[in-house]
Amino acid sequence: MRITKLKKDNLFPFLEIISEEADLWVPVKKEDKHVFKVVDDFSEIEMNSTRTILPPRKIFLPPNFNMFSVSEKGYKEDFSHVTKKILFGVHPCDIHGLIILDNFNKQAYLDSYYLEARKNTLILGLSCWPDEYCFAKSSNTHVIEEGYDLFFTNLEDFFLVWIGSSQGDDLIRLKPELFDEELKNKDIQTYINWQAERNNAYKWNINFAALPDLMELKYKDPLWERLGDACLACGSCSNVCPTCNCYNIMDKQCLGGKDGKIMRHWDACTLKEYSEVAGGENFREKRADRLKLWYTHKLQAYISKYGKPSCVGCGRCIATCPVDINVRTVGKALIGEEVDAFWARINKEVTK
Amino acid sequence: MEKDKNGKLKIGIYELTGCAGDALLILDCEKELVSIFKAANIQSFLMAKSDNIDGELDVALVEGSVTTEKEKEELLDIRKRAKVVVGIGTCACFGGIQAVFLDKKEWEKNFKKVYGDIKMKHVKPVQSKPINAYIEVDYYLPGCPIGKEQFLSTFNRIIRGNPPELYGFPVCVECKWNENDCLLNKDIPCLGPVTRAGCGSICINHNLPCVGCWGPVEDANLTSEFKLLREKGFDYDFIKKKMATFSGTGMADFLGKLEGEKK
Repeated sequence: MRITKLKKDNLFPFLEIISEEADLWVPVKKEDKHVFKVVDDFSEIEMNSTRTILPPRKIFLPPNFNMFSVSEKGYKEDFSHVTKKILFGVHPCDIHGLIILDNFNKQAYLDSYYLEARKNTLILGLSCWPDEYCFAKSSNTHVIEEGYDLFFTNLEDFFLVWIGSSQGDDLIRLKPELFDEELKNKDIQTYINWQAERNNAYKWNINFAALPDLMELKYKDPLWERLGDACLACGSCSNVCPTCNCYNIMDKQCLGGKDGKIMRHWDACTLKEYSEVAGGENFREKRADRLKLWYTHKLQAYISKYGKPSCVGCGRCIATCPVDINVRTVGKALIGEEVDAFWARINKEVTK
Repeated sequence: MEKDKNGKLKIGIYELTGCAGDALLILDCEKELVSIFKAANIQSFLMAKSDNIDGELDVALVEGSVTTEKEKEELLDIRKRAKVVVGIGTCACFGGIQAVFLDKKEWEKNFKKVYGDIKMKHVKPVQSKPINAYIEVDYYLPGCPIGKEQFLSTFNRIIRGNPPELYGFPVCVECKWNENDCLLNKDIPCLGPVTRAGCGSICINHNLPCVGCWGPVEDANLTSEFKLLREKGFDYDFIKKKMATFSGTGMADFLGKLEGEKK
């Protein structure tokens, strides 16, 4: 793999050139959080952004889109969400999330809506610095070796740029004079120091290796009922998770006419209707059972199948759940640690 | 369902006590209005036409809650005439703002406070209740008012003999789709988690907390929402008022229970 160097002053000129090739999505501020967006003004780009509210999968499969347009003549697949895109500023954990989704969508049934969008999108990764919610080092997703076209490591006044694909290389060849192939020893040392310091910056960790067994051993633990008592069943943990991928389909027929649409929207196993079947039966009516399923998938089932959790340590569930049900508190509780969380307090008397 | 001689279902749209916002919303579907009247035989729709016939119906859409004996009779009559009854809007589904009072005694006290001892000649008022307090309701279409998209797709399904297909999840789901930061996490009292989706999280998109106007979602965890707001320092009565505003009788049982716990 080739590694080159880009002076920070040359970043915007580079983005300017590549944005002529495709829609450029970048991390920007939304109040005190971040989101991926297409912008006209590159100064809006947040180079030191934390996790975006929604993971990058929103760019491949929008929360709600039309799968088929139906008419008397039959149906026609709608791929209007598939356009040429470049996604800049994707953190390593989110690239790992995309790799997990790639595997999933390439399994028995090929999901062309995802795969077509993925094929038409270039991933330009960007290094990041952990905040209090990040635990990507625990899942070993703080580093990335595949799944990107270019990867930018953000150092003092320059980026080290990893070229991960021939398409990434093509982007550089649009204006190679912006890049500097000659790396100085000093640059390399800067990178080594940065890496050591970054690896030490993770404030907490979780022992993923212990969790599959603990999920099994504590499958009937009262913990799940306690979590279920507090869970608002809002589905936010699933919506913000970079590896969740469930969806539901609804028919939208046009009034009077014979045309219609078949809409596909994000669904979540943490929502009640998800497990409802014909006849109105529901296999997971209780919130505790739904949470158990979600955590079994993230912390146990995926590990036994693929040798790694389907949690990439991005910290979105921690930043999002209003009642503190997240991989950190659930993981800690499984391990038997004391947890400071709303769900752990809920059944105690609330004082004024 | 039988169709009339033109192959259309006979439909009636009725308004009980409410702001008539749902009927107005149907009229406000200007682009689709001709299609609505073409697709079905609209027998009765007081806001839209004067030649209303109160005969047998395939589908009755009923807006508003029941607040008088007369409305009660009217509703029972609609039920008798219609094969399918759909409650439209939060008032019909849950009782609406006018159903916030918790028990009958409290309602009588309030009624007396407002109207004094006067005898009502033409109407006999009763405590506001959703239509399912008196009749069996086949489908519900909540919203305050109902949404255009939601109404058109539901109407379309119903005239084809299909049940409505609505979002059964809370506002939070749409709110996340719109990539809003959670207001509860900023200690703003938002009812998104206990309120039915369909509005497109319009208030939160504008940084205003959800007031619950689409009524409670089936799977609402009221206890957790209540305790969460308490922990964030909100006053007992403030939360009670906020939660009761739009949920009508849907929240009365829950709040009644809390009242019991308080004492």
